[in-house]
This record gives sequence, structure tokens and C-alpha cells, in this order.
Amino acid sequence: MDFYYGLAQIIGIHTLLGLSAYIVLLTGQVTMAQAAFFAIGAYAAGMLTVLAGWHLVPALGVSAILGSITAAAVGFPALRVKGLMLVVATLAFGEGVRLFFFNFDYQVAKGEVKVGPLGGEGFRQIRFFPENGWTTGEVMLFIWIFAIAALALLWWFDRSRYGAVLRAVGEDELAAQSVGINLTAVKVSAFSVGGAIAGIGGGLYAHYTTHIEHANFNVLVATFAIAYPIVGGLSSVFGTVLAVIFVQGFLIEGLRFLGDWRNLLFGALIVLAMNVRPSGFFGKRRA
Amino acid sequence: MLDFIQATSDGVLFGATYALIGIGFTLVFGVMHKLNLAYGAASIGAAYAGLLILGAFWAEAPAWIVFLGAFLAGGLIGWLVYVTCFHFIPSASALATLMATVGMLLLIDEIVVHATDGLPLNYPALFSDVMLHLGDYYLRGDLLLVFTLSVLCMVGLLALLYRTRLGLATRAVAQQPIAAQLCGIRVARVNAMTFVITGLLGGLAGAMIGASVGALSPLLTTPLTIKGLIVTVIGGLGSIPGAIVAGLLVGGFESVFQQFRGVTERDLYVMLLLFVFLFFRPGGIFAAKGGRD
Amino acid sequence: MLELKSVSRHFGGVKAIDGLDLRVREGEILGLIGPNGSGKSTAVNVITGLFPPTTGSIHFRDEEIGKLPTHKRLHLGIARTFQNIRLFGQLTVWQNLWVAQNSPEDRARHGFFGRWLGGQKGVRAEIGELLEFSGLAHKQDELAANLAFGEQRRLELARALATRPKLLLLDEPAAGMNSEEVGQLRERILRTREKGVTVVLVEHVMELVMGVTDRIAVLNFGRKIAEGTPAEIQNDPLVKKAYLGGA
Repeated sequence: MDFYYGLAQIIGIHTLLGLSAYIVLLTGQVTMAQAAFFAIGAYAAGMLTVLAGWHLVPALGVSAILGSITAAAVGFPALRVKGLMLVVATLAFGEGVRLFFFNFDYQVAKGEVKVGPLGGEGFRQIRFFPENGWTTGEVMLFIWIFAIAALALLWWFDRSRYGAVLRAVGEDELAAQSVGINLTAVKVSAFSVGGAIAGIGGGLYAHYTTHIEHANFNVLVATFAIAYPIVGGLSSVFGTVLAVIFVQGFLIEGLRFLGDWRNLLFGALIVLAMNVRPSGFFGKRRA
Repeated sequence: MLDFIQATSDGVLFGATYALIGIGFTLVFGVMHKLNLAYGAASIGAAYAGLLILGAFWAEAPAWIVFLGAFLAGGLIGWLVYVTCFHFIPSASALATLMATVGMLLLIDEIVVHATDGLPLNYPALFSDVMLHLGDYYLRGDLLLVFTLSVLCMVGLLALLYRTRLGLATRAVAQQPIAAQLCGIRVARVNAMTFVITGLLGGLAGAMIGASVGALSPLLTTPLTIKGLIVTVIGGLGSIPGAIVAGLLVGGFESVFQQFRGVTERDLYVMLLLFVFLFFRPGGIFAAKGGRD
Repeated sequence: MLELKSVSRHFGGVKAIDGLDLRVREGEILGLIGPNGSGKSTAVNVITGLFPPTTGSIHFRDEEIGKLPTHKRLHLGIARTFQNIRLFGQLTVWQNLWVAQNSPEDRARHGFFGRWLGGQKGVRAEIGELLEFSGLAHKQDELAANLAFGEQRRLELARALATRPKLLLLDEPAAGMNSEEVGQLRERILRTREKGVTVVLVEHVMELVMGVTDRIAVLNFGRKIAEGTPAEIQNDPLVKKAYLGGA
């Protein structure tokens, strides 16, 4: 049973990661920076609970805010960069953040032991859950409260005018401008919301795994972030969740049958999926 | 000052490999308006393929045959990437092709790791003990070779593009794919050939990187992909002269950053260079001309 | 209402419009015609803010707008349709109109949350009215990309009207239409004017231009070569030369 709780936990966290990319992708901006906001949320929440003794919930609040602010800071210059160049720019930004954490030391002595991030070694002993007696099942529920909240929020956006405006911008910026839509506000707001969601996901991730390091926030993670909404299809938030379940389920369960080969087949699986269903699981809306 | 000039010249020579990768990205973008994110991995993969396949039949193959093996393997892998990521997926699904190339990137990376257990492999080098001295400076023989072969490749490519029918067809497709089709040009064939040609270039680049470092490692793929993309963007998406200049520029800068700030901070500075360019010249050095629409 | 003074727009060496003087009076329907390449679409693009003018000034209701971005000009009341239809294909007909409600009046109602995160109820009346006007009520939940050509044209117009414009620029709205459709378009343009909207009609289809406009301005090579009532324009020798002589 613990195994399945663990699987559900990682699915919940990756759902947040995927949803953070979903909203940005709706506006037509392909972002490889979500792993960076995820990282910022992770380190921030970890430092607040470990070094400053905060409770996890307000720490996650800070993660959301920091993720959101950083994302907005990325969102503004992103306006000047078109299409595929944005992929490169956000990719470089993501790598830059990873390198930053690779060099980031901030240790504080707690009793006899030093705790805190230590460059390449990472940030160990993020033990809020065990120290406060949370069971695996409780952690899973806690993670899923946030995942469901994010799902509900984006689902609501999709039904509201904001969602339609996001998609209008994603489809045709010129037409959107011509009917009075403020592109800057829409695109930067999407980035901000995505950044907040990624920040919370990162904060949860840090406490789920208790030890984070720069390599946990690399290009592969940035790729997962956009892979979920692309494979799931952009017409519905549930596509993203389904894609997370599919991918993580495959990767984790696949370990049993395919052992080391599952990573190999993962790449092949993506290639196959894109050839068979280019618009994702939940493809074009009501074709 | 001596160090600075030495670092710059070493870097610029090595930068020719970045220029090749940049050309590969930019050419595919120019012709198909898509990014092939698997390209960096494919180039290193080609170097591996050349080395391993050759190694199975000819244990002590001379270096230049190993390079040739990488070159040819690159063309083959390029074609494979075309078929799996671009041939069947509708051209309107830009996200799908992007994701598919990412899938291929992961696949190639994993194949390399599986085939070698993740350990670095020795790669032959030529002229690694040769040094040409110019006063207080020296030019490394192996880097000169890297530079020369890369330049030869670029010249060959430009000759292909501007003096052959295939090149003409490629430039036509790049400008107006539908009109090109209506003129009888088989666009699918041109696209496939573009991938083969960039694959060949990439294979050589992979070989040259292996030769200058003396070894191949799966850890090379991600930094190469990112630097190649940075070169492409700085040079201007779609511009081959831009990729060449930017490649040499990035090579030079990288080497200087490394000389003065060490390896760990070097990559951060290269990214800063990208952001500076994006801020002041988002179109790149040789920005493609914007039209009325 | 709208005044262009010596407006030029150059693209490299090409002078798409060159020293154009144009006045649009409030409440009129002004036709803008000219051979291909005469600068009509560029004029529309400059007025709506797609490009800034290279030289000259543009005043809308006595306010200089040359430096304003497109969406701000929309908020002032300038809307347009596109020559090659630019609908939001993946949105429904209803949503295409919904996202276009960006006029100051619409922004003032409902409040921030109501406008962005609220549902469809508050605006059902207005959007329903627009749908009726355009004959698209039965297709309100259809994806715009799935509409027939004539329906798409009607949606383009409806969407522009959803922005509550004071000045509406129509860029070749009759292209590809048959006679009956042109007649319906003419009706809609007249009814739009009755609601208080000033219209500038860029068009090639002479039947429509002559039948609906109050005045016509003729462009050739980026300059205005004639201006007057439809009757005057039809008899103008310069205009005839422009159209017949090598256009």
C-alpha cells in the first residue's frame, strides 16, 4: 500500500508541474523554464521549514509567491522573443537556475549539525513530514489537496472568459490585439500563474523526497513539464493529469518489467505517441 | 593579456564545432521552420556509432577513418530523426514535432548510455602533440585540424546550397514551400535531404569534439544542445553566416570565461551572453528580414 | 472623426503609402478603393496601429494616436476586420464574440472578477443580440474553424462589432461573396451605421462600394488621387486611368 501511496504522491507533484506548463502553453508560449520555478519553490520551502522552523503551509505560500514573481520576471522579456527562440531562451534560463543552485551554499548550525543547501551536494534532511509524524497516506492526501486545487482553478479558467482569452492569444496574436486584448497582461499573467503552481509543486517535492540537488531540476524535468500538457492535449486540463499518470505509471511500474530499459523505451514512447496522436490524448476540441 | 589571446584563439578554433551544430539547427529551422532538438544528441551519438561500429570490425582503425565513420553515421541518424519526427507528423502540429524530437533526444541518449554503461570512451585525435608556435602564442595542432575540417564542411555546404540543384530546391522550399511543390519540387525529399546533410555536419562536429577532448561521454549531449541553440539564436534563426560567426564567437567567449572564472561559472556566462543578445538584438546578428506581414 | 495628415509608410524602399491625407467624417460610410498595391490595406494597418507611420500624424477625435498600441486604439473605439479571415478557429462562435468585449463600457461593468472569471450569464443578452444580427445564433457553439466561408465572414464582422466600435474599418469584406451575400452585407453595413458607427470600407467589389458609401476616396501608388461621391468618382478620368491603365 505504501508503494501506491508513493506513486500517487509523485503523480500529484508532477501534475502540478504539468499544469504549470499547461496554462503557459495555452497562450502559445513554449516554456522550458517551469523546472526552474519548481526548483525555486523547492529550495525556498525547504529552507523555510528546515532553517527557520516554519510550518509547511506558509512555506508553500512563499514558494508560490516566489515562483510567481520569478515567472513574471521571465514573462516580460519573453514578450520580445518569438516562437522557437523562446524555447531556447527559457531552456537557457532553466539551466542557469540549475547552475545557480549548483553553486549555492547556505548552511546554518542546528545544534552540532550544519543544515542547509550545500552547492553540488544539495540540500539534505528536509524532514518536516517525518519529524511531525505524517504517514505516507497523509502526505499523499496533502499533496493531492494542492493538485486538485490547481486542477480546479485551471478548469475554472478554461470555462471562463480568461481561458478563452488565453487561447485566443495562443491562436492569433494579431487578431487578439485587434479586438482589444492586452497581450502583455495576458501572457505575463499566464506565466505568473504557472510559476505559482510550479513553486508549490517544487515545495511539495522537496519535502516528499527530503533531499534535493541541482540535478533534480535539469533539462529532463523541464521537458517532462511541457511533455505532460502536449501529450495530454491542450483542450482539457484532464489530458495533462492523464498524461502524468500514463508517464509516471509507465516509468515506475515499467521498472518492474523492463528494468533499465524503461528509460530507453520512454523516449521511443514519446516519439510514437506524437506520431500516432499529434494533438495529444485530448486532441482538438470536438473535431 | 597573453592568456586572454591564447584562450580566445583556442576557443575560436574549437568554436568551429559549435558553428557546425548551429548551422545544423539553423538550416532545419530555415527549411522547415521547426527545431530539431535531437540534433546535439544525434551528433554525439553519431560519433559514438562511428567509433563502436568501426571498433567491432577494425580494432585499430586510423583516426581519420573513425572521423569518416562518425560523418556517415551522422547522415544516417539524421535521416532516422527525419522519418520518426517530421515525415509523418503533420507540419501544422509544431508542438508534436518538437516533442517527438525531444523523445528522440532521450532515446539516443539512453542508447548511448546502454551501449557504454555510461562510461566515457576514448576517442582518437590527430596532431594532438603538434604545436605551432607563433612568438609567445601557440596553436594546437588538433584544434587546427578541428577548425580546418569544420571550415571545409561549411564551404562544402555553401557550395551545395548555392551551386547545385538540390541546394536551389532547398532554398526554394525554405522560402515558399507550397509554391515549391507547385513547381514540381518534391518537398518531402528536400526535407529528408536537409536532415541527412545536417546529420553529416553534426556527425563531423561530434567527431571533432571527441577529438579535441580525447574522449566521448554521454554528458556531452545536453551542454552541446544548449550551446548549439544559443549559437543559433545569437546568429539569427535561419542564417548560416550568422551561425558561423556566432559559433566562433561563443567558442571564443566560453574559452575566455573559463580561463578567468573557471569551469563551473563558465556556462552561466555563456547564458548571460545569450540574454544580452536577446535583449539588444533579439533577431540575432544576421536577423532574417522581416516582411510587411 | 479620423484624420490622416501627410501619412507615409515605407517598407525599406517601398513607399506603400506616401503623403496620404484622409478625413473621415463622423457617421459616414467612406469607401476606400484603388488598384492592387495602391496602399489600401497598409492604410488600414497604419490606422489600427499594426505599424507606426513613417511620417505624418493620425488623429482620432482630435487625439493623436500615432504612438498608441493596437489594443489601446481599440479601447478608443477603432475596430477592424481582416481581408484574410482571422478568426479564433479553436474557439466557438460564442467565445469569439466573448473575448472581443473589450470596450470601455464592457470593462466598466461586472468588475474585474466578474469580467474575467465569471461565466457566460452576464453577457448573454448582448452576445445573443450580435448573433441574431449576424444570423449565427444557431451556430453559437460551433468551432469557428468549422463554419462555412460566408458564416466566417459574418462572424468577423460580428466580432468587430462586439468591441462596440465608433469607427469600423472593413478590409475587403465582400471578397469571395456571391451577389446575394453582398446584398446582405450591404444591409448589415447600413444597419451598423444606423447604430452610430462610422464605417470605412476598403473594397474591390464595385457593386458594394457604389451602393453603400456616402463618399469614396481613391488611392493609387500610395497617394489619394480622387475623392467624392460615388457618382463623381465613377466619372472621374483620373480614376478610370488608374484602373484601366496598367493596374
